[in-house]
Amino acid sequence: MEQHEAIGLAIAKIVRERSKIGQLTLPEEILTELTGQNLMKSENSDQKSQFGDALKQAIEKNEDLREISGRDGTLRYYSAQSLSETYARILIQRQENPLLLMAEIVRENSAIYPRPVPLDIFRESPFDLTEEEILDCLKEMAQQKEYQDIAQTMTSIGTLFLYSTEHLDSDYASSLAEWLDVGQSNNP
Amino acid sequence: MAKIGGWAGKVLRVDLSTGRISTENTIEKYKDYLGGTGIGYKVLWDEVPTGTKPFDPANKIIFAVGPLAGTGAPCNGRTAVTTLWPTCWPKPLVASGHMGGNFAAELKYAGYDGIIIEGKADHPVWLSIVDGQVQIKDARPLWGQGIRRTTVEIAQQMGPEASVAAIGQAGENLVPMSVVMNSYSHSAGGVGAVMGSKNLKAIGVHGTGSVYIAGNKVEWEKLIKLHLSILGANNQHVVPNTPQPWAEYYNASSRWRASRGRRWEASSPAIETGICNPHDLNRIAYRTNNAAFYLGDGAWKYTVRGNGCTGCPIRCHTMIKVPRAAAKYGIPEVGQNTCGGLNFGRAFFKTFPDGLRGETAIEACMVGMHMSDDYGIWCNYSQLQRDFQKLYYEGIIKSKLEEKEFKSYSWDKYEKGDPSFLFELLPRIALKEGELGTALGLGTGSLLERWFLSEEDWKKDHGLNYWKLGHPKHHASEEVGQCGVIINTQYNRDPQCHSHVNFTRNGLPLEIQKRLAAEIWGTPDAVDTVGAYTPMNIGKARMAKWSLLRKELHDSLSLCNWMGPWVASPLKERGYRGDDSIESMLYSLATGDKKSRHELDQIAERIFLLHRALTIRDMGTKEMRTQHDSIPEWVFKDASGKTPFTKGTICMDKDDIEMTMDMYYEVMDWDKKTGAPTTATYEKLGLGKVVEELSKKGLLP
Repeated sequence: MEQHEAIGLAIAKIVRERSKIGQLTLPEEILTELTGQNLMKSENSDQKSQFGDALKQAIEKNEDLREISGRDGTLRYYSAQSLSETYARILIQRQENPLLLMAEIVRENSAIYPRPVPLDIFRESPFDLTEEEILDCLKEMAQQKEYQDIAQTMTSIGTLFLYSTEHLDSDYASSLAEWLDVGQSNNP
Repeated sequence: MAKIGGWAGKVLRVDLSTGRISTENTIEKYKDYLGGTGIGYKVLWDEVPTGTKPFDPANKIIFAVGPLAGTGAPCNGRTAVTTLWPTCWPKPLVASGHMGGNFAAELKYAGYDGIIIEGKADHPVWLSIVDGQVQIKDARPLWGQGIRRTTVEIAQQMGPEASVAAIGQAGENLVPMSVVMNSYSHSAGGVGAVMGSKNLKAIGVHGTGSVYIAGNKVEWEKLIKLHLSILGANNQHVVPNTPQPWAEYYNASSRWRASRGRRWEASSPAIETGICNPHDLNRIAYRTNNAAFYLGDGAWKYTVRGNGCTGCPIRCHTMIKVPRAAAKYGIPEVGQNTCGGLNFGRAFFKTFPDGLRGETAIEACMVGMHMSDDYGIWCNYSQLQRDFQKLYYEGIIKSKLEEKEFKSYSWDKYEKGDPSFLFELLPRIALKEGELGTALGLGTGSLLERWFLSEEDWKKDHGLNYWKLGHPKHHASEEVGQCGVIINTQYNRDPQCHSHVNFTRNGLPLEIQKRLAAEIWGTPDAVDTVGAYTPMNIGKARMAKWSLLRKELHDSLSLCNWMGPWVASPLKERGYRGDDSIESMLYSLATGDKKSRHELDQIAERIFLLHRALTIRDMGTKEMRTQHDSIPEWVFKDASGKTPFTKGTICMDKDDIEMTMDMYYEVMDWDKKTGAPTTATYEKLGLGKVVEELSKKGLLP
């Protein structure tokens, strides 16, 4: 097998394996792995250029491999076979801007399902926000102009839900939250 | 002729009055009705005269399974139990209960597709079925025992592989609100007292045979894999409740609870449920945790594992271990159930000291599960508990009981949410002790009559969820709009139909639901989102018909309508489609009797029509639209005064519902004025003999 072919296969394997466990992959992480497998020498500048080409080719050749860019332009890679774009976006935003992440999740849920989102979900994987981070985000949302569409409603058993007024009016959001939190388990 | 697969080939008939045991040929007599409820309705139509009461020896109780029971088809563990229904009020009519567990498979392996129980034994008996050896045995030593001890005693005689369907004290005492239960927690509600009336304590069954698959075995295995691949979690929720790496979509209220970090903590060692990629067919059983669904994430620490029926990877009966509850209340530390069974104890209470999902609520679940599943008390889809709360908090119980009896209950414990209150209440229901225990055990309709209460008041109170004939709604307008209303008008108990709700609650975005709806029911407008209902349209009528026929099909094939149908899936590469032909493909390969989806649906329609005919015959009227298919007043009211078709209300519009029923009768080819099937419709579906009898009685439109 040609060296470049072996590198291409190794890149796809690295990205796929990490995607299976719910992780995005940075180019430098791929390079480290390839170096560890003696397929590349990271200190060699020619090799770095060769790596760039190989990575590009691997993405083109394997249609499940995708790249996603953070706000700072950093590219990360994943395999759509086992990691969705939805999840990839959450991972990026979780790292970059939890406040924006919460708002985007709430807006998306309000728009496409449509439904409000229980605040508790942000404590769960992959959000993994702490109580303090969540409260800080809620405070920020209340103050910043670009988040004024994010509203809250509480169910009869005290569960707080968030929704976007761009997609749900308050009565409707409250009735949906009550249905999701109380109604469904009372109507099994 | 090629050997027919699927069916065992024989139906067992046991006359408890005479002790006569016989068999009849399933294929010759019942093939046109498949099995399950199909056999049950056929026997009642042919053999049980109008005017028979549920506890008369002339009533029959039919335990029947279908050609897919005991095969490798997923979710094939359902046994239909059909009889004249003791809690159907004011007049008993045909209905069926459905139990999962291992009974269906064992019955098939023993060589039978059903058991027709008739007559009445002169002393308590139980029925032992071991392959071809069927014996009526003395149950006097078991009489007075709970379901658990009865099961153990019989299993000690028959061996641990036997499945025992037993009644508890509630059934023995002819308490209409009673169950028969097998495999520890799998019950069919409403029928325990019919067994009790026949002095039949239990049926134990063990078979060493197998189910013959007529079709190509490689094709069969491929089909099973296909079916497994489109399964979701419990209730066919096809998205997880938190984002998972593989998932595009998620829904916080999905029953798909597995996730990295969520563990069955009470297992030793604890077991990680993990990300459960839907392509990993060996991890389907990790997806569902109904204890966590109902009781919140606090239930993970008590979770041992999922349990469930033969052939079902979903495992919806979550097993929980709560040593604290065992120590405190003297009950076993492990319990398992789902839905109404899991919540049996909790649902009596309005509040708990630490909230509805706190530790005390879990204790109430444990106490309730153990007591109700041993005494064999039925909740009637939690109508028992809703009635109890209303009767207590509105002072009705106090007004109806003698002071001495009223004071014999620790109402302070009840109001505080102390689960030990259940030790005072539940035995008295099962043993018919006192006025309160006796009245609650009757079921809603007879309770209202006994206490001179108005059914109309129950029909106005949305919080009660009461629908008609002594029974509550079950997935009605609150979540499936007009389609849910139609479905709730059709049966003589709560409809137990999940075809519609397993679609609308599947968790997919509205756009995808609409795309799938258009493929199945001809228009995306067949589905709305909850609380944003649009006026009636033909798609909703088609969806209702499809839902009802699939329910009867599942109940007759032994597939689980709590899990299917499987028209959506978790698979992105399929566009989230499931397969609407899975039932007909399974049937065709298992039996060798090739039927298309449409042809099998026609058999389901025949079965459903026979249910309708039985209802018409036994009600003695063809005026079904006005006399049977009624809708309670709460459906048309909104507490905050919202009008129908505005967002945030589930209230329906009366004129629209009239049109709804018109459209439904039209898609069924029934007479719109009476709501009764026409002669042509009966005949088209091969029910000419039904026409003859109904015609003689003037019961055709």
